Amino acid sequence: MGPPKKSKKDRSGSDKFAKKRRAEDDAYTQLVDDNDSMDNASESDGVPGAASKNAETNDENINTDEYGAKDYRAQMQLRPDHGNRPLWVAPNGHVFLESFSPVYKHAHDFLIAISEPVCRPEHIHEYKLTAYSLYAAVSVGLQTHDIVEYLKRLSKTSIPEGILEFIRLCTLSYGKVKLVLKHNKYFIESPHPEVLQKLLKDPVIQKCRLIRSEGEGEGDGFIQGTMDGKAITQFGTKLPPASDKPEDAGASTSSAAGAATAEGAVAIPDDITDFYEKIDKEEEDEDEANLKTVSFEVAQEKIEVIQKRCIEIEHPLLAEYDFRNDTNNPDINIDLKPAAVLRPYQEKSLRKMFGNGRARSGVIVLPCGAGKSLVGVTACCTVRKRALVLCNSGVSVEQWKQQFKMWSTADDSMICRFTSEAKDKPMGCGILVTTYSMITHTQKRSWEAEQTMRWLQEQEWGIMVLDEVHTIPAKMFRRVLTIVQSHCKLGLTATLLREDDKIADLNFLIGPKLYEANWLELQKKGFIARVQCAEVWCPMSPEFYREYLTTKTSKKMLLYVMNPSKFRSCQFLIKYHEQRGDKTIVFSDNVFALKHYAIKMNKPFIYGPTSQNERIQILQNFKFNSKVNTIFVSKVADTSFDLPEANVLIQISSHGGSRRQEAQRLGRILRAKKGAIAEEYNAFFYTLVSQDTMEMSYSRKRQRFLVNQGYSYKVITHLKGMDTEADLMYGTQEEQGQLLQLVLSASDLDCEDEKMPGEPGYRPGGSGTTRRPGALSSMSGGDDAIYYEHRRKNVGSVHPLFKKFRG
Amino acid sequence: MADTKSGRYASSSAAISPLVQGPENLECKNFQEYLRTRQTPETLEKFYHYPPICLAVFRELPEIARQFVIRILFIDQPVPQAVVSSWGAQKFAKEQAEATSCLSALNVWRVTAIPGGLAAWELSPTFKKSVRQALMGGGKPWPMTNTLDKDSKPRDIPFLDSYAMSRWRCVLHYMVGTGGRNGGSDAEAISPDAVRILLHANLMKRDERGGISITRQGFQFLLLDTRAQVWHFMLQYLETCEERGISLPECLSMLFQLSFATLGRDYSSEGMSNQMLTFLQHLREFGLVYQRKRKECRFYPTRLALNVTNKDAATATTAADEERMQERGYIVVETNYRVYAYTDSQLQVAVLGLFTELLYRFPNLVVGVLTRDAVRQALRGGITAEQIVSYLEQYAHPNMKLVESAIQSKSCLPPTVVDQIKLWEMERNRFTYTEGVVYNQFLSQNDFVTLRDYAQSINMLVWQNERTRTMVVQKNGHDDVKRYWKKYSK
Amino acid sequence: MVNVMKGVLVECDPAMKQFLLHLDEKLALGRKFIIQDLDENHLFISTDIVEVLQARVDDLMDRISFPLHEKDA
Repeated sequence: MGPPKKSKKDRSGSDKFAKKRRAEDDAYTQLVDDNDSMDNASESDGVPGAASKNAETNDENINTDEYGAKDYRAQMQLRPDHGNRPLWVAPNGHVFLESFSPVYKHAHDFLIAISEPVCRPEHIHEYKLTAYSLYAAVSVGLQTHDIVEYLKRLSKTSIPEGILEFIRLCTLSYGKVKLVLKHNKYFIESPHPEVLQKLLKDPVIQKCRLIRSEGEGEGDGFIQGTMDGKAITQFGTKLPPASDKPEDAGASTSSAAGAATAEGAVAIPDDITDFYEKIDKEEEDEDEANLKTVSFEVAQEKIEVIQKRCIEIEHPLLAEYDFRNDTNNPDINIDLKPAAVLRPYQEKSLRKMFGNGRARSGVIVLPCGAGKSLVGVTACCTVRKRALVLCNSGVSVEQWKQQFKMWSTADDSMICRFTSEAKDKPMGCGILVTTYSMITHTQKRSWEAEQTMRWLQEQEWGIMVLDEVHTIPAKMFRRVLTIVQSHCKLGLTATLLREDDKIADLNFLIGPKLYEANWLELQKKGFIARVQCAEVWCPMSPEFYREYLTTKTSKKMLLYVMNPSKFRSCQFLIKYHEQRGDKTIVFSDNVFALKHYAIKMNKPFIYGPTSQNERIQILQNFKFNSKVNTIFVSKVADTSFDLPEANVLIQISSHGGSRRQEAQRLGRILRAKKGAIAEEYNAFFYTLVSQDTMEMSYSRKRQRFLVNQGYSYKVITHLKGMDTEADLMYGTQEEQGQLLQLVLSASDLDCEDEKMPGEPGYRPGGSGTTRRPGALSSMSGGDDAIYYEHRRKNVGSVHPLFKKFRG
Repeated sequence: MADTKSGRYASSSAAISPLVQGPENLECKNFQEYLRTRQTPETLEKFYHYPPICLAVFRELPEIARQFVIRILFIDQPVPQAVVSSWGAQKFAKEQAEATSCLSALNVWRVTAIPGGLAAWELSPTFKKSVRQALMGGGKPWPMTNTLDKDSKPRDIPFLDSYAMSRWRCVLHYMVGTGGRNGGSDAEAISPDAVRILLHANLMKRDERGGISITRQGFQFLLLDTRAQVWHFMLQYLETCEERGISLPECLSMLFQLSFATLGRDYSSEGMSNQMLTFLQHLREFGLVYQRKRKECRFYPTRLALNVTNKDAATATTAADEERMQERGYIVVETNYRVYAYTDSQLQVAVLGLFTELLYRFPNLVVGVLTRDAVRQALRGGITAEQIVSYLEQYAHPNMKLVESAIQSKSCLPPTVVDQIKLWEMERNRFTYTEGVVYNQFLSQNDFVTLRDYAQSINMLVWQNERTRTMVVQKNGHDDVKRYWKKYSK
Repeated sequence: MVNVMKGVLVECDPAMKQFLLHLDEKLALGRKFIIQDLDENHLFISTDIVEVLQARVDDLMDRISFPLHEKDA
């Protein structure tokens, strides 16, 4: 909620979850945010020094007023026409934007390019200027001068001097030099000759230079050129019909809302609109300005040396791949299908990536369910070179393959899966889909796997798509980079949790963040589901609470998860939503509870030890079988696979205060549903918490990220109708007593969360076999029917549970 | 904010802990409560010599009570009580009883016996005379006459409204310590008399260093709406007016005359006593009347004066008037508990700071966040969740009202934020403490039942269980119950 | 005969009552303070403990609301 001053204490608590080991398949997915236990010397490799600069410290000496607020009034002079300008820039780098301003769109596009969003609720958005965000800004083509100038024009007040200084510091040397692969030769290219001269004074870089003919090295001897290529307006080969229109429509709704609030016609200062047009152009059609560039060639084998050296001397190289002029690597024959229509934000994010006719490396941040895979597929279809897709589980590998088949012309012969289970022959394929752990693990491989690895390492990949990039520990990621040679890297993720420096470092390893969508806006436009989030308070039964107060710590958790009133609430909600015809997933990190709840309610469940085949079977049933409407899953389902059918999620136990897990879980039900706009809410996200226990605190902590995206959690202290529902279990004192005995006699092992491969305490083989109650036999066909429209019988527009606050 | 909880908490005398009996909070009384609790029958009688006061009293009576008064106003003999009660249907006996006791409490009528020994009602002769005068004219002319030449520069309603508010804000600004200092537009010192009233009302207090600072009641006062603030302040003024040699009934009468005046019209102060002219100057300071110059006879009552009585009786205002009187909405409350206030007013910042953790001050914006700690602090200070919510609603930024959820519901605040503020309040109320005495180990069921029924009958029983023969009696009921027990067990 | 004792009647929900019983049992406030356990919502306790007790309850509420120092629960 507040400004981020919380990272320190967050970290210490979660260290114990943070070890990693590699297993064949399901990559260890880092679920605890703020986690950075892998500190060691190599961590800072590849990250320039300026990245550690922080505007937050600019105001250490600032006065506070009598209420304890930082008083910036002296440093910010209000401008006479402040009413027409949308932002405040605070001396500590925080920027506040009025979302109802008539120039919101201008300011928003600009801010998203130069700063990190902190929170984006309804009215006023907060952003923060960071070294990373400014690096990202210059790498998509913004210049120091432009940033400063536009910020000045948008601001209601004068810009604090310290901020101007900070921007200069972070942008002057960044983004000026590019490493370009052109006609199979590597060039260091820059529009600024003086920068290249500076680089060449460095002895290490000198040695990397490749001089082909005599005389070329004399003088500055740069190769003169203009940037060629046109801005790409199409991705793949399919022409997106009138691609600009939807975006404009969206923009006009938001500005209309803004205009309605202001008195009459609002004067937008000309300097804002003028400049916006300029920036907009520069960003997208940089080359059409025929930018003069200079360059020199470098030896291919020295690439890594020069990259490292450039970072050391604060000129990190931006990797750009001129894929059209790459004749060394064969094209693959893959295009988007006509049915693949990009949404405006998908297109926008891709425009950032291919803005100047080349492919930039970087990260695109889109909420789960907003169509990340289409972005990945489109990127591959645009580059049309050999593509490598890395994801974090076997199920996910299958789903990526399906995505390629759905959106592109690629067929089975082109797509190859490289997992311990799949038997595809990878040699010579166009698209290889595998997992992080598959290529990074150090255990002995089978002969075939060994062959595939060798082949993979020999390839020059055109593009590498990194799915769920935030879940990979930096160390594992570095290993990927040493194994795979690729010309450009596209990271995809739903949540880049920002105060974690290690994740920010990924920006330098992959590339800057190219785009980050606004959740609330996507929701309003119906691209993702409108989710009602609710925190359901379940009073601890006196007997359970008594034990909770006296028992040792490990059992406390089991007590609040197994609290009979939580069980009853869960059962009640499941029934309620089954009657509505909804599809419900119940999440429990604790396996003891997962099994108990699922078996007791006779529902299928998936957890670590569940085999790949069985998982797929259960998921297929959930998808197609109208009798299987509720499944229970452990945290294996957090990221590893898509459940597009689900629209209700119930969380009964979760991993401490992990904001990322919360966001990922919400993502499970975000895929926009048919008829999305019609209902007030079309998806439901419940967290059941036992009152008066630590779970309350965890729950709040988990919510912070989503709350900052504009989600609000309704607190339900009393589920309406639950008292009169007769069929709920654990209603009697006696049953509750039995449940308590069960919990008390549970082993320490049962008290723990499920351990994923790679986490400390993980035991291969799991704890016992899976039982699958439920009507699995009645599996209905349609394996290839991706678009199965699930019809709901009874869809009320307002959820009666939310009608009343405490009865 | 008046204590509406059952008497069982309020009446325990010697407080053992502020938890069992909370610290003193701002008590706001309406006119009737004021008359009933602050005045003796003698002063009431004095008041009733003034037709405007009687009219105001009459106006605020319960509906049925007004009926009774009208029906017997012109009857010169006492009316038998049985006759009076026959005027209403049996169904409304309760309302009738209320009306009856109200009239008695206000000394409007009293019990008297008529020949034959029947109990009867008789209106207070003074009250009767004054009401008759008020309704039908006659008697001395009211001091506020309207016989002036036309004002060459008449003042219109918008002018008066903004004048009134700017004057009234001076008082509020003074309370939060900005009056007279670092020259905001409304910042102007207030008179020593006004300061005395604030001190008397316990809205401010002298601190150790001789300075004056705001009290917890003062902060609660700031959260009231303007109408309630002015009324409360004027009551406090009335309590101190005798000290400075001004007649209380005369002031009250004048105050009500003003409230019967017409907005936008000018009146003359000619013929007013010196005392009343002083009073008029005070009213001018607080913004209840506008007067161009101190010596000028001409004055205009403002909306603050017209609304001075209770809410329902206040003159109907249009939305536009309301808007003008209200400060423009300036607070944005977000679903993530952020609060943004478009203001540079020290007063508004101070009020916001009561229940918000403030983060940044920009020239025209304050950034804060509603935190549990900050809200609890406010709750501990006697501010209620309801007050916080209604303050935020009252001053919500116009954009807040355009949000989808705001259009559908009555509040323009994010529902989760409202809920949370209430939950924070509920969290503090999970325990209720009642000081009392436990009685147990009764020898027989009969003993228990007898004593329990007695305690019940005097409304002192707070808990009982027949099976365990245990009961808890309020502390101040203990003596009674003990006495009864002794008598019983003999 | 009848037994009479002065004190404070506490009314709360069943879980919170368990909390008070717990404090009493563990002598967490230095001594026993519950005079009589009345029913699932009511306790009768010593008058002079009220303030200490409420402070303990506030502690509990502080701990389970975020933000706060996370102790290993």
